[in-house]
Amino acid sequence: MLTTIEKIIFIVLAITAAGFTFHGFKTIIDSIRKGRPAPELKNIPASLLNAGVKVLFQQTIFKARKVLSAIHMGLFFGLITYAIVNLMDVLEGLVPGFDLVYGGKHIPNAPTGLVNTFNLIADVMSMFLLIAITVFLVRRFIVKDKALTFRENVLLNPKVKAGGQARDSLTVGVFVIMHVGAHVLSQAYRLNEGADPFMPFASFLNSIFGASETGVHVAWWVSIGWVMFIIPYLSRSKHTHFFMSPVNLGLAKQNPRGQLDPAIPLKVIEGQKFDPGAKVIYDLAWTRVMDAYACVQCNRCQDVCPANFQGRPLSPSALEVNKRYLLKEATFGSHPDRLLLPLTETVISPEAVWSCTTCYACVRVCPVGNEPMADIVDIRRRMLIDGYEIDSGVQNALQSLATNGNWMSKGKRLRGRWAKEMEFPVKNATEEPVEHLWFVGDTASFDERVIPNTKMVARLFNQGGLDFGIMYQNESNSGNDVRRVGEEGLFEQLVEQNMAAFGKAQFKQIVTTDPHSFNTLKNEYPQFGGTFEVKHYTVTLLKLIEEGKLTIKNKLSNYKVTFHDPCYLGRYNGGFTAPRKLLELLGVEFVEMPRNCENSFCCGAGGGQIWMGKVAPGERPAENRIKEALTTFGEGANAKTQLFIVTCPKDMVMYSDAVKTTGNEGKIEVRDIIQLVAEAVGVEMPLEAEAVAA
Amino acid sequence: MNIVVAIKHIPSIADDLPVKGNNVDFDSVDFVLNECDEHSIEQAVLVKEAVGGTVTVIGVDMIGELDNALHLALAKGADKAVKITGDDPAADSHMQAKWLAEAIKGMGANIVFAGVQASNDLDGQIGPMIAAYLDMPYIGGVSSVEATGDSATVNKEFAGGVGAKYSVSMPLVAGVQVCVKPPRYAPMSKVRQMAQTATIEKVAPSGDSSSGLVFKKMAPPVVTGHAEMIEGSSKEVAKKIVELLKSKGLA
Repeated sequence: MLTTIEKIIFIVLAITAAGFTFHGFKTIIDSIRKGRPAPELKNIPASLLNAGVKVLFQQTIFKARKVLSAIHMGLFFGLITYAIVNLMDVLEGLVPGFDLVYGGKHIPNAPTGLVNTFNLIADVMSMFLLIAITVFLVRRFIVKDKALTFRENVLLNPKVKAGGQARDSLTVGVFVIMHVGAHVLSQAYRLNEGADPFMPFASFLNSIFGASETGVHVAWWVSIGWVMFIIPYLSRSKHTHFFMSPVNLGLAKQNPRGQLDPAIPLKVIEGQKFDPGAKVIYDLAWTRVMDAYACVQCNRCQDVCPANFQGRPLSPSALEVNKRYLLKEATFGSHPDRLLLPLTETVISPEAVWSCTTCYACVRVCPVGNEPMADIVDIRRRMLIDGYEIDSGVQNALQSLATNGNWMSKGKRLRGRWAKEMEFPVKNATEEPVEHLWFVGDTASFDERVIPNTKMVARLFNQGGLDFGIMYQNESNSGNDVRRVGEEGLFEQLVEQNMAAFGKAQFKQIVTTDPHSFNTLKNEYPQFGGTFEVKHYTVTLLKLIEEGKLTIKNKLSNYKVTFHDPCYLGRYNGGFTAPRKLLELLGVEFVEMPRNCENSFCCGAGGGQIWMGKVAPGERPAENRIKEALTTFGEGANAKTQLFIVTCPKDMVMYSDAVKTTGNEGKIEVRDIIQLVAEAVGVEMPLEAEAVAA
Repeated sequence: MNIVVAIKHIPSIADDLPVKGNNVDFDSVDFVLNECDEHSIEQAVLVKEAVGGTVTVIGVDMIGELDNALHLALAKGADKAVKITGDDPAADSHMQAKWLAEAIKGMGANIVFAGVQASNDLDGQIGPMIAAYLDMPYIGGVSSVEATGDSATVNKEFAGGVGAKYSVSMPLVAGVQVCVKPPRYAPMSKVRQMAQTATIEKVAPSGDSSSGLVFKKMAPPVVTGHAEMIEGSSKEVAKKIVELLKSKGLA
């Protein structure tokens, strides 16, 4: 169809575009390769294939924003269809007589059925694409969806602040509309024999504009000519996402969620010495440099971030956006010097770094497998090494952890005091063999508000005939949150202390009351030689009941309860079923909060936040959660006692406070699941304990 | 600038303080660095960072565990660590001051820092006694030090927040109450690195001195009364409090 001159112009353009595109992606790949070695990825072809399937079915985006995700799906299918459509358009342009309209009847031996099917799909997809892209443009530029904006206090690259992202979106949006519109129009102009039933959209346009040879040429050039500019542009815009997100998803974290990357890469590179953590962008693992290119800046992570919710200056998506702009300015732009600036000046503010609760919600929700949280921990690690002035509360906690093995400035010998007050002897697992080694944790051992629950766990274990013991002063803090604060050296010291204690003990498995300890014992201690089975107490209790060792005597039908999944039990380790099964067996009326299981909302205590001396203003995540629970219970549900059930000692403290600060005492009560189990089972208590309880 | 910091290792009160005979049961108590000494180490490092020089940290090893405190000081920026092998957990402040002064004598110190007092004996003697033994001026209750040439500008805080500025000729001994900045955090990796690589110089205690004080008896506090919990609604409680205050003649 094209004239010779047109063909020459097209080929020159195509070669130029290919050159720019190649340069674009080479630049991107070169910059990714400058990142540090990442933890070893196993069986990459299989995980890439797996990611490909996920992308094809758009599985990962549906974790949030269901309607917009469906539209994204339409856009995605539209664009992959268009890859073939564009190829056909090029053939139509270059090969004389290659014309797909009317089932390709001018092409010798054309498979008419196949061509008609293709024409129909292409025609319908064109409509989908135009609708989808219009929805997205309306959302960004007319409705101005707040989800696409950042808080004032979030550090942003000046170009982002000046609307760089919006310009990217507009450029690509307008391109899609022009490109698709022109393609359909070029097909409409070809319909010189009336409507084609397999091209309803093009036929409709044909009924308005008629057929035209000049029209075909003009529309073809608008449609395909555009592509020659947009493809190289994509590699320089946030839409690198189109190509990088499937790759990134395929090369995403393979280790357990609860296992942080080491502070220094395990892989030894000749002549290269790494400092712990990350100061500049190429201190990040290469997989996380790549995150910046995969991110399309949808802000799903920001939606679920508890720190962002509270109004703190943290936005996980801003972190990725800033990373990409920094890389772009350095590689495509003329500012390679900026790569040497600290990340705390270019991509995330120090206040934001210290706002993260390490709840993993951002990583979990990310459709493209990004790990902003891991970057934050790496930045913390280096800040600590470089002597950055940390929050005084965190410093006190760390100093106490270094000297006392707990963060509460309590002497080691006081750790087992609660056990000595029990009416039966609690075995010392470092002195006599036990089946279950109970790793109690700091809060459950020392906090006066939580100790009654700790004792209740002991009584139920005892009543259920569980052979258990604790390590008394030999137990140290597990180090889960120490590691997430970035104090890798102290974490290692705590691990060594606990490993030495475990070495003295004889046991078959570990049971923990604290999900944070549970996480690191299960996922991180194996790297230090700690290969043992670890269970959360909800699992142990459920087993005791199912095996008939504990019998439920009173069904608790007078309670209406909801359950909060602790981050480190639920999202990190999938411990969703045991607590729910327990509640079912107890006979309570159970209602699920909107944010549950994987999508549970952090209480705000993790990642060292509970140690902070400075309290951030704004509604705290725990307060919001209590309100969520009350909304879930609904109005007029007062006939039953409303309970907020927790399975984490930190939650007990956080939510009890939140009930008070929101003024909801009397409406909702926070209880550890152990209190309900004790009530249902009927704990045999000594006389004086009963007197106290009454 | 040659800076020396004299530190003191004292029984931790994170545990209940165990009593045995007429003194602390030293076998079942952990030893920690005295809090004022953390501030004087920080102050010493700040002076070094401002004008250059070396910081030597020195202390009496009471129970053979002083190394931890010395490694921590090295991780925070001290350059040398010395321990006096006292190995007497009951060595009092006069004894320690004598040993420290003897050890510091040959060091050519421009400034000797010491915590203004330690929480175990509330004695405040070590700094002044070192100054007396070494014939240097002493200034206590120090809240900041700036070294300039052969004298130092020292800030000191009096009751009620009244501040005073002194010029003190060097060499001098300064009893630090609080550092101008909160003591820095030393990352454990650095502390552990020090524990592996640093050498701690050992000095035998020399000289003798006694405070002339002898422990007669040490006992935990005897519980004599309990707090009264006022029960009832907030109005009832408020009423009872008012009544109570009236009955005591306070309202």
